[in-house]
Amino acid sequence: MSDASLKAPSLLPRLPRLARPAVRADTPEASRARTGVLFTLPAIVLMLVILIVPILMAGVLSFTDYSLGRAGFDWVGVQNYEHLLSRSAYRSMFVATLTYVFVVVPASVGLGLGAALLISSLRVGGDFYKTIYFLPVMAALLAMAIVWEFALHPTLGIVNSTLAAGCDIGWLRGLLTGAWLGGDPAASWYGQGCADGFPLWLGDRDYAIWTLCFIGIWQAFGFNMVLYLAGLTGIPRELYHAAEMDGAKSGWERFRLVTWPKLGPTTVFVVTITSIRSFQVFDQVEALTSGGPMKSTYVMMYAIYEKAIQQNLIGIGAAITMVFLGFVLLMTLIQRHLVERRVHYS
Amino acid sequence: MARLHLKDIRKSFGETRVLTGVSLDIADGEFVSLVGPSGCGKSTLLRIIAGLETQDSGRFEIDEQRVDGVRAADRNLSMVFQSYALYPHLSVGENIAVPLNMRQLNALQRLPVIGPFLPGARGRRRAIHAQVARAAEMLDITHLLGRKPGQLSGGQRQRVAVGRALVREPAAFLLDEPLSNLDAKLRVHMRAEIAQLHRWLGATFIYVTHDQVEAMTMSDRIAVMLDGELLQVGAPSEVYERPADIRVAEFIGSPKINILPAATAADGSIACLGTETRMAVRGAEVRASQLGVRPEGLHLSREPADFTGEILHLENLGPELYVQLRLQGCDAPATLRADAALLPQLAVGQSVHLSFRRDRALAFDNDGKAVETRLLDRTPQTTPASGIKPEQGIAPDLGEERRAAHV
Amino acid sequence: MTTYRFSTGETIKHVVLILGALVVLLPFYLMVSTSLKAPQEIETNRGGFLGQQEMMVDGDCVRQGNAEEDCRQRPVVYNYTQAFEKAPLLRYLLNGVIVTVSIFIIQVVVALPCAYALAKLRFRGRSLVFGAVIVCLLIPVHAIALPLYIGLAKAGLTNSYAALIIPWTISAFGIFLMRQFFMTVPDDLIDAARMDGMSEFAIVWRVMLPAAVPALLAFAIFSVVAHWNDYFWPRIVITSSQELFTPPLGLREFKGEMADHAYGPMMATATIIVTPLIVAFLLAQRRFIEGITLSGMK
Repeated sequence: MSDASLKAPSLLPRLPRLARPAVRADTPEASRARTGVLFTLPAIVLMLVILIVPILMAGVLSFTDYSLGRAGFDWVGVQNYEHLLSRSAYRSMFVATLTYVFVVVPASVGLGLGAALLISSLRVGGDFYKTIYFLPVMAALLAMAIVWEFALHPTLGIVNSTLAAGCDIGWLRGLLTGAWLGGDPAASWYGQGCADGFPLWLGDRDYAIWTLCFIGIWQAFGFNMVLYLAGLTGIPRELYHAAEMDGAKSGWERFRLVTWPKLGPTTVFVVTITSIRSFQVFDQVEALTSGGPMKSTYVMMYAIYEKAIQQNLIGIGAAITMVFLGFVLLMTLIQRHLVERRVHYS
Repeated sequence: MARLHLKDIRKSFGETRVLTGVSLDIADGEFVSLVGPSGCGKSTLLRIIAGLETQDSGRFEIDEQRVDGVRAADRNLSMVFQSYALYPHLSVGENIAVPLNMRQLNALQRLPVIGPFLPGARGRRRAIHAQVARAAEMLDITHLLGRKPGQLSGGQRQRVAVGRALVREPAAFLLDEPLSNLDAKLRVHMRAEIAQLHRWLGATFIYVTHDQVEAMTMSDRIAVMLDGELLQVGAPSEVYERPADIRVAEFIGSPKINILPAATAADGSIACLGTETRMAVRGAEVRASQLGVRPEGLHLSREPADFTGEILHLENLGPELYVQLRLQGCDAPATLRADAALLPQLAVGQSVHLSFRRDRALAFDNDGKAVETRLLDRTPQTTPASGIKPEQGIAPDLGEERRAAHV
Repeated sequence: MTTYRFSTGETIKHVVLILGALVVLLPFYLMVSTSLKAPQEIETNRGGFLGQQEMMVDGDCVRQGNAEEDCRQRPVVYNYTQAFEKAPLLRYLLNGVIVTVSIFIIQVVVALPCAYALAKLRFRGRSLVFGAVIVCLLIPVHAIALPLYIGLAKAGLTNSYAALIIPWTISAFGIFLMRQFFMTVPDDLIDAARMDGMSEFAIVWRVMLPAAVPALLAFAIFSVVAHWNDYFWPRIVITSSQELFTPPLGLREFKGEMADHAYGPMMATATIIVTPLIVAFLLAQRRFIEGITLSGMK
């Protein structure tokens, strides 16, 4: 110890002593416990008022014919739920919603995984693609949906005009119509498009839901990619070396043996969150198709909006809300189940 | 400066009794170490003294004034924490100023941006600044005042933590294992520094540690705690040489004391491993059933002496040698401390004769309480065999530096 | 030999990724490009990315009785001035800022003390409260929009800032996230603050808040991006008052009222709405990706 490092304490001035406060009755533990309750109180109240009570409210209202502005309401039992099961509009709703979920979830998860694998295996430029693929996640979905609508416009849109331009180029047309495979060019999708015009996309009941799915996939896969990239960096390199030593020679074998199992938790999470978000699809539908044509894009959130908010049929809207919450609960339970059972091998 | 008085402090967490009635008086300006293995309740006791926790029963006084129920901040005690607990977003200077700011500025004056411009704030801030500067100078950290804790080494953080504790001149300093996060070399250095700080400040220090070496080297008195009770309070040499309890004997000292089975005859004389020790207990009802011999109290001998044993292992530490032995008639291995020059004469598996210093041997009864003994004759010690030098004065063993050298 | 094969693989990967990037970037390209072009160029799909930028005549301007000479403008100027003049876009942007900032501040004010209490204070019912937070974590607020809307309507709060903000004031995720972060803050630091004379309230704001800045920043990005881009909730609670429109609502309104050939101004509006977050993202990519994928911590 160096003497220079400590100097005599007399340099310190005398501080005024604190006046001894009166002995307080409560202990520090008790006062901290009080503070704890006090600090959580606002959050508890808000959770109750904003999250818990509304769910109960929706549950109750789904058995009534309540509408805003009316003084009272009548109990109608399970009539609202019966309508959900029996009326064709609601059958369309379930078909549209499930179609959307079952297309967007696998596609955006698959593309996200594919992009992550490709990007992480690159020697240069990985960050560049990562940035680009993440852009749709940042952009307001409503704005981008409107841009897509413009791109898919039957006459002004860049998509159809590009497709039509291809018809005039012999070799490209041959390639796309499948003529080189010996098929009948006129019978192919592209050949028909060249002859009769390309689809209206959003205006055609055969195409509308798929077009919305495409926009959904376009928007969501970058998010999944980033989560997968994070998952991939968590896999130790030694595991790949070990797999190689154990005889997994091809890339596919290493993927089966190491990558896919290690990405298990990420996959469960990505699938769950994409599913819940897909169930909630609304922006594209409201702005581009309003549920049409012929209810082919009549998804649940839009149905709630149209029935309950626009037409003031609160009861049926509440019933859809309850079914919706049921779906979300189911997703979460499946996720929990998988997380606890299967994915714990790390 | 302050006297502290603890009377029958008890504390339980749920079913676990952490403190089972601790009484302790600490004199003004005294340096007292609370030492014991982890989980013995020493940290809880310190937190009760600090006012961060409350005892279930018992009283605590500072300068004859009962402070139970007084907020930690109002007890005028300051604490140095094991992890230093510096505010990571504040500079070193701001860290040291916090306790002064909280006491000398009111809530408005403490506000960011506008606070400094309120009436009276300026002068007080200048005074605080001067105090911080003086404390920093004293600890030789003036050049660090502008840095953030994240940019400091462990030793520097430690000094800042000390600076924050001493800047407000508390009635007593509470130190909670302040050296345990430092590397071994720095720990030795800071040990001396804290001891010197104590001499200069003349303040009351309560120092919690699980490291007996720290406790032995720095304190005026050591309080050995085990399982929530104070086993012995005394000067370091007293605790080392006359432990009141076998657990204290085992905890203090490195290598650990050798405990040998013993028997007390009807006349009070003590036999150990079949050898008459020529020691006897004082008092009629007292029975010694265990004999404690420190490693430096055992000697190798050329001629047959008190015990025989077989060498199990040799540890050469440079200046000296630890010999691990199995004594005949005793299952637990014993340790002996010898001059390293003996190494060439010794080999693992070799059979050796041993004598022990009866004036330093400690006797304990069945419950582990120390038993007073007397020597039965004045015959000189068995002369050590040629080539084996007699021990020259035995200092309390502080194995720390040696262990440190091995780290 | 091996180098050659490796390069082929690498090249194929780049080709695939570039094709993907083209599809991803297409709408952005189209949006910006269209916002720069004259109506005729948009209709005929000519003019490249920037358009010819030939002087054009603003039809509305002429119809209002101005001389044609005074109504000549570059298309890019026309599109962007139209975006601000045809609708109160500035007002929408301001609303967006007010709403997102208010939501974030209230979320923090509610969540921080709660998270501190859950992480560091012992009190009866603590695990119950934490359990409630975990349950609430699973409730998508959009899903319970209907009962919330009814509640707000009953309270006469629709068409107000309050309606836009209130449902988001409680962020179970924010509480959960900050609680996890606070768990890593050493207890010693809090005890030191207590010894130094701070109240529990002061500890939250003077010790925990500064220590949590990185986590808070990530949460801020998460929260601001979600609420700046949100369309569903404003659509529901803002039905009549245009002065309360958030940017996406304003754009939707624009599209709804649009005369046939106003694609240029509409795309200009879309560009203006999308740009702030995109620019912020490009400037601080790592933080943004961290913030947006925060929900991965659940």
